[in-house]
Amino acid sequence: MNISTSMAVFTAVIGLIGIGLYCLLITRNLIRVVVALQILVKGAMLALVFVGQMQGQPSLGQSMALTVIVADTIVAVVGLALAVQVKRYVGSLDIAEISKLKR
Amino acid sequence: MWFYIILVGIIFCAYQAVRDKRLLLSAMWLAGTSALVSIMMYLLGAYQIAVIELSVGAGLVTVLFVFAINIAGDEPIPNLSFIPKSLARIFIVLAILIIGWQILPLLNFPISINQDTGFQLIVWESRKVDLYLQVVMIFAGVISMLRLLTDDFQRQIPTEVHE
Amino acid sequence: MLQIEPLVLLTILLSWIGAIVVWLIGDRNEKIQHLFSIVFSVTAAISAIAMLWVYKSGTILSFSMGASYGDFSFITDGLGLFLSVVATVIGCLAIIFSVDYMKGSAQLGRYYSFVLFFIGAMVGLVLTSNLLLMFIFWEITALCSYALISFHNDDPKAVAGGMKALIMTQIGGLGLLLGALLLYAYAGSFDINIFISNPALFPSNILAIMAFGFLIAAAAKSAQFPFQTWLPDAMEAPSPISALIHAATMVNAGVYLLARFFPAFKDVPGWTLSVMIVGMLSALMAALMALVSTDLKRVLAYSTVSQLGFMVYAVGAGGILASQFHLMSHSVFKALLFLAAGAVIHSVGTRDMREMGGLGKDLPFARMVFIIGSLALAGIPIFNGFWSKELILESGLEHGNPIWIYVIMLIVTGLTALYTTRCVWLVFYSDRKTELHIHPVGKNMKIALIPLAFGAITTWLLIGPFSQLMSSSLPIHNIEVLSLASLFEHVILAPATWITLAIIGLGIMTWFGRDSLSGVQKFVSPLGKLAESSFGFEEINKFIVRTTNSLGENLRITQTGKLNWNVFFILIGLVGVFAVLLIGA
Repeated sequence: MNISTSMAVFTAVIGLIGIGLYCLLITRNLIRVVVALQILVKGAMLALVFVGQMQGQPSLGQSMALTVIVADTIVAVVGLALAVQVKRYVGSLDIAEISKLKR
Repeated sequence: MWFYIILVGIIFCAYQAVRDKRLLLSAMWLAGTSALVSIMMYLLGAYQIAVIELSVGAGLVTVLFVFAINIAGDEPIPNLSFIPKSLARIFIVLAILIIGWQILPLLNFPISINQDTGFQLIVWESRKVDLYLQVVMIFAGVISMLRLLTDDFQRQIPTEVHE
Repeated sequence: MLQIEPLVLLTILLSWIGAIVVWLIGDRNEKIQHLFSIVFSVTAAISAIAMLWVYKSGTILSFSMGASYGDFSFITDGLGLFLSVVATVIGCLAIIFSVDYMKGSAQLGRYYSFVLFFIGAMVGLVLTSNLLLMFIFWEITALCSYALISFHNDDPKAVAGGMKALIMTQIGGLGLLLGALLLYAYAGSFDINIFISNPALFPSNILAIMAFGFLIAAAAKSAQFPFQTWLPDAMEAPSPISALIHAATMVNAGVYLLARFFPAFKDVPGWTLSVMIVGMLSALMAALMALVSTDLKRVLAYSTVSQLGFMVYAVGAGGILASQFHLMSHSVFKALLFLAAGAVIHSVGTRDMREMGGLGKDLPFARMVFIIGSLALAGIPIFNGFWSKELILESGLEHGNPIWIYVIMLIVTGLTALYTTRCVWLVFYSDRKTELHIHPVGKNMKIALIPLAFGAITTWLLIGPFSQLMSSSLPIHNIEVLSLASLFEHVILAPATWITLAIIGLGIMTWFGRDSLSGVQKFVSPLGKLAESSFGFEEINKFIVRTTNSLGENLRITQTGKLNWNVFFILIGLVGVFAVLLIGA
């Protein structure tokens, strides 16, 4: 592997994290929030694997990435279940409708 | 050369996932992103993780999304965001620049794809606490999802059954 | 042939599985919930006693967590074993008592599962030898204590008491975490025995930080000075909870911590003196506050703080055997007192002692067990409190400890007798001034109280095997072996004992002759007023709580409830951290 490929991976990581965060700042739909989280986590996972290879401990990086995959799948599962329930009880998926904090 | 193509593909798919108005298409673009990320990890030399990510990210999660979107409905929501888009864009670029600048000096460039077979050893032996925590998390997630989704399943039963 | 290793796991797991089972049974089957919780706690107690039977020294049970995290290990030595027996036995007696006390109460599942969860966590805390695991169990006991104090969560006083207890014991938990992390940083592992056997490995300032961190953790957990205000407010909990958690088990965790780490820290300059002073101040202040309080459970709570002060003082003075022996006696008689007080309060319906009086004729059984408990507390001979308190006072005279602290502890012993007599008199013997509706003590309450009363009279007979167990399994602590005969010699023939008995007699006589001492009373009444406002500590507490609340109100504007804004602030935080790193690097 040479410089250019590692730069490519690095750009992919930064790009994914950036796009995920941008979507979290912009969206109003609850399910799209889950999509944004998934994108963010893929960036983090790629970064872990990449750094593991770079430091000479590929197995450690991969086992951490495994933990991250499990965690983010569970987040997706519970997040989607919650979104479905919110739609049923409140009537809409817009986050403006569901923010009921008293001011 | 392949790396560049996949890089462009990832950025494109991710951006489309964010920008598309319909949720189902968004989920499809997300599946595409997962597949491309998994291929990139394969090219980096992490074979086991690539397989797991392909099956979970591009398979399981996409099926879940399709389910959820079908149940919840796909109505359009007015897209006026609370934070002005230009402010968000400036912020993101700033954040990325700072993070990138911090990480850049850490990249030691001459690296090789050294493959050791230690993956199994590390997951099952050295990092046992991680393993136990993952098992607990999976159980907790499954149980909570079941509780959440069967709750309203019972409400469909007509109320004459209650005495 | 029964091995000890599975019994360790069995004691902890039985309680935890019992917690889950009782919760899952649901609140509609009340009788089954009572039955199952009794069954699980009794089997856990039997398993703990069986551990004593099959004890052989040097067994270690460890679960390997991989090379990165070390082992989660349990060591069964004398200190841990007897505390786990105390926790499970008193736990099962408190649960039997709760069958009558909590009859008809709502949400019983939550109550029983937290009690069983707590018992399992306490057993784990005293049996483990991995400092990280000990911290985890410590936090679990704090959580269960908070949940049980605020059990009646529609009562604002109970909730406030629970929050106060949680905040103060968490401050202590920070001290423990700090010590654990320093241990890991300097020794590479969390194992306690490595640390205790050669503390010289550590540089002396790190050792001093760890020593005082542990002292803060122990003082916060055992409600010692300056953290003593949470225990009296925790008396909003149901009485079996006060007996179990706040008299017999959780508050002992602090004393256990000090006793276990004593050989490592005893050479840190100023540490033993600070421990003795903390113990002395708590004992003195709490005894004074007990003297002027009018709520029955608060008197017992202050008495707990005071007796714990005695134990902490004994650890500082070097008498580990004396402090653990007093811990055993205190658990028994204080649990007895709290449960008897609970029976009285349940029968009468009020906690204020000024409204009670003359209850001796109506509740003879409660009167008898309460008097047994208070004689043990005051240190009258034959009861177990006498022997253990004498051992503590004697260890204060040895090892070259300062004499003035000993004199003050002697005065506190007299005060103990005084407030105990006052309490018994006000509840059971004086004239009743208000109309009360009394109903008799329930059967299960009596079943729970009888073994404790028996124990208060007899546990001192176990000194021989007790000291044998501790000295053979804790070689580093240098504990001496005391047989029953040498106990008699030590205590009865020492002149210090006669002085103490005289002071106790003086204390009791002071109560009965209080009319003729009215001049002295007027003289000390400003002190009494000071004691009632708990020497200004309550004001400090209220100030802290008020400031936190107003700060929270003013910062509420940042909580918009909209996801985008929240993520925006997270992002600002991230950029801030990186900017600081950029400048700092």
